[in-house]
Amino acid sequence: MTRSGLLLAALALAAPGTVGAQDYLLRLDGRIQRVAYRGVRLDSIPAGAVVPGPDGGPESPDGHAVSCAPGAAFCQFYRPGSERRGGPLVLGADLAAWGFGVRGLSLHANARLGLDLGGADVWPGTDPPFQLLEGYLEYANEWLTGRGGRQFVRGRLGSTGFDGGLVGARHLSSGLAGEAYLGLGLARGVALPVTAPALDPLDEFQPRERQLVAGANAAWQFSRGDLRVEYQREVDRDTRNFVAERVALSTDLRPHAGWRLTGGAEYDLARGFWGSSDLELAYGRRRWGAAAGVRRYRPYFDLWTLWGVFSPVPFTAINGSIRVSPVSGLDLHASGERYRYADPGAATPLVREEDDGWRWSAGAGVAFARVWYAGADYRNEFGPGAALHGWEVHLSWEPRPEVALSAAGGRQVRPLEFRFDQSELIWVRLRADLRPTERFRLNLSATRYAEDRQRPDASAFDWNQIRLVAGVSWVLGSGADRLPLPPAVRRPGKP
Amino acid sequence: MKRSRWRPALGLAAFTLAAFGGRAWRQPEGFDHWQHRKLFTSCQICHAGAVSPAQPLWPAPSGCETCHDGRVQKVIRWSAPAPRPGNLQFTHAAHAEAFVKKAGRDTALACLSCHGEKGAAWMRVARAVPGQCLDCHGINVAHYDAPDTACATCHVPLARAAGLSRERIATFPEPESHRAGDFRGKGHGRLAQPVSAGGRTFPVAPSCATCHAREFCVQCHVDAPEVHLIQALEPDPRSTAIAAQLEAPASHEAARFLSTHGRQSRREGATCATCHTRESCATCHRGAVAVASGLHAAGPGRAPGARIAREAGTWHPSGFRERHGPVAGSNAAACAACHARAECLDCHRSNPGSGESYHAAGFLARHPAAAYGRQNDCSECHNPAAFCTGCHVRSGFRSNNGILEGRYHDAAGAFLLNHGRAARFNLESCVTCHSEADCLACHSAQTRRFNPHGPGFDAERLKRKNPQTCAACHGRAIP
Repeated sequence: MTRSGLLLAALALAAPGTVGAQDYLLRLDGRIQRVAYRGVRLDSIPAGAVVPGPDGGPESPDGHAVSCAPGAAFCQFYRPGSERRGGPLVLGADLAAWGFGVRGLSLHANARLGLDLGGADVWPGTDPPFQLLEGYLEYANEWLTGRGGRQFVRGRLGSTGFDGGLVGARHLSSGLAGEAYLGLGLARGVALPVTAPALDPLDEFQPRERQLVAGANAAWQFSRGDLRVEYQREVDRDTRNFVAERVALSTDLRPHAGWRLTGGAEYDLARGFWGSSDLELAYGRRRWGAAAGVRRYRPYFDLWTLWGVFSPVPFTAINGSIRVSPVSGLDLHASGERYRYADPGAATPLVREEDDGWRWSAGAGVAFARVWYAGADYRNEFGPGAALHGWEVHLSWEPRPEVALSAAGGRQVRPLEFRFDQSELIWVRLRADLRPTERFRLNLSATRYAEDRQRPDASAFDWNQIRLVAGVSWVLGSGADRLPLPPAVRRPGKP
Repeated sequence: MKRSRWRPALGLAAFTLAAFGGRAWRQPEGFDHWQHRKLFTSCQICHAGAVSPAQPLWPAPSGCETCHDGRVQKVIRWSAPAPRPGNLQFTHAAHAEAFVKKAGRDTALACLSCHGEKGAAWMRVARAVPGQCLDCHGINVAHYDAPDTACATCHVPLARAAGLSRERIATFPEPESHRAGDFRGKGHGRLAQPVSAGGRTFPVAPSCATCHAREFCVQCHVDAPEVHLIQALEPDPRSTAIAAQLEAPASHEAARFLSTHGRQSRREGATCATCHTRESCATCHRGAVAVASGLHAAGPGRAPGARIAREAGTWHPSGFRERHGPVAGSNAAACAACHARAECLDCHRSNPGSGESYHAAGFLARHPAAAYGRQNDCSECHNPAAFCTGCHVRSGFRSNNGILEGRYHDAAGAFLLNHGRAARFNLESCVTCHSEADCLACHSAQTRRFNPHGPGFDAERLKRKNPQTCAACHGRAIP
């Protein structure tokens, strides 16, 4: 937690009391789960202790397949690791307060306190314990928005977090809008600066200072769609070098009732190539809908890392989905995608590796008697690195709006391409969602996992556990009818 | 003509008696007028108050004892009925006086004009009906079809009819006008418009005020404080005895209403404000909706407003959760209209305490397939270093010795020979276990000089943008 983060957190927590907001909305969340996992442990034996296995390959005396580098004194192998148990507990608070005497002025804060009750830092995300996701003061009216503090902007270029300021303007009748922002950036996918020790588990190179992030976007919202252009650059404050410089264009067109054309593309100005892009045409009605699209995915790495110089190549995919509801309450759906990587410019005829893949899934859901919902899905995917096939079924019962009980289960098999490790997983889950009042929600679930890691040697292991999850949400607000919680039920397979 | 005109006046008087007398008029006390027709030659003998306000309307029970003394007739017990509260503005004396004065007839006949059927014999009294009042006052329509100004002729506004109980108010019959097609829409507002008649100006139609008070309207109208017609009604909590319930207008049933109501509300915001509070919008729209600023916040004197059930629009088809990125990227403001920023952060800043917030159960076991094939951009929600690498390191999937050691990839016998191809396909997966140092052991100008650069690598551009990246391998001798 940085000093600026602590300052913002203190401001967020202290402000409602000191300046006397007339209205507020506070959502408190508590989530805890009991988890376990088992990894691998690198081990070695003297080369002289290696024995031939049943198929002639080198093995350790206790049956583990070993790898012996030519001339090496020791051969290495991976043993099953010990089972590690954790209990990550996260307490979250999301506060919005307004009514400070200036219409449109509001204070927002979203913070988490994460602890691992197991005490061994088993689960990722609880280090550091306190994280301020957002904390900013905002002024907004029909034409202008001004925001200062920790915040994130969401767009085609992703969710960019920073500590700084944002100014936005919009013209409602024409649908034109624009934003510009400037601040000290946060790392991708997390509310921590890129200099945080928690982001460096491999002791790699890290920037010494946080990057300066600046960006702008312009959008046009018209009756038949939206168009948006974004620009963003990140600069290393230490070396004054670029960390990133990208521009993106995206659109969401609705040319006719039921039709939708969505797409966008990114261009990496720092590297000089097109990044990820996609285009999808969809048609939807109450009884049926279909979509078809193409997408190109190219991984993105900041320039302060070296990974980009290894020239990762993109893949191009075509995909489609269809949904049919022949009778009320019955939903049939299927989707599929096929993708192929671009030529990587590196190959040897001695080894063949997959360079394309596909995935498809199909399923059905049925709602009956207004309180029951049942569904089943099958999924199959194959591609470079890993494959998967499996099915799952679920059944939920909602006798009252305040109560929902569900049961689910499934089986999946996951072979890997580069390692002998075919995992077969069978799982069963029971879940209860309770909403005694509109402002209070509680959910409990228990899932039994039975996973068998299959290998032809002693390194195979079982990974069985019961995972427990409990959550509670409590909304406090100054308005009696303001913002009831969404319904407690999220039916599987339903949007 | 005169006769016919004045008969209704007496009818009105009779009706008024019925209203005030209630059961007494139906003779529940057992007094049979017809049985006593030969004893009385004038109504005023018993009902002196009908013509003289100073006198009681009902006779004293002692008068009955003149005959019912136990000798001439059996003893009876009778008492005058209590006045029944109503909402009429009526006095017997004034009507009788007016009748006698204008018709030139005696009061007995005047009473019979209202309290007897047409041509009825003496003392064959009957209950007065409202129609007789209307006839006399020149209103030639059914009672509840009377024009707005007519109601005030006989009735006081509900708020001034203090004696009426909620139970009685709840039994008020529904006029025919209330069954008109658009009455629950804009129709009732048109009927409630101010009227002027007989030199009087009514700020709200008396036809409304007779049965309703302000609180009745506040049951539905969020904009009650701003509607002059509603404010023109006097307040009276009893008026909620007639329950009103909001009904969604026909426009809300349209198939595309959810997707078009924004535009409609910009055009007809005042109409929305009738039934919707600002909080109505906030039920679904988490962001700052411009239209909402034109609506009234819930508060005293306003209806709670239409209750909104939040539901996903048709633009959230099955599987939308997995591919909402492009839509959100093109118009994040549209998402913000319904979703709180915190909802995005629930996933985009993954919560280690919630087990199954986004991914289905069992995803951990199948995540390699999804990650290798980049079903989604994992780094949108998971920081690759903190989340992916951090967990792999905890699980023992860590290579600090380069790919020459460890031999984790044992299913590909000559993986080392072709690892470059695998890396360019799935570099994001490689970096979850390998550090840059693993690769630089070979791929560096200062080590084994295996060129890591592949198709499309723009060395000049990278050198301009970030020469430090080049210097990591090339030192100061950047080519």
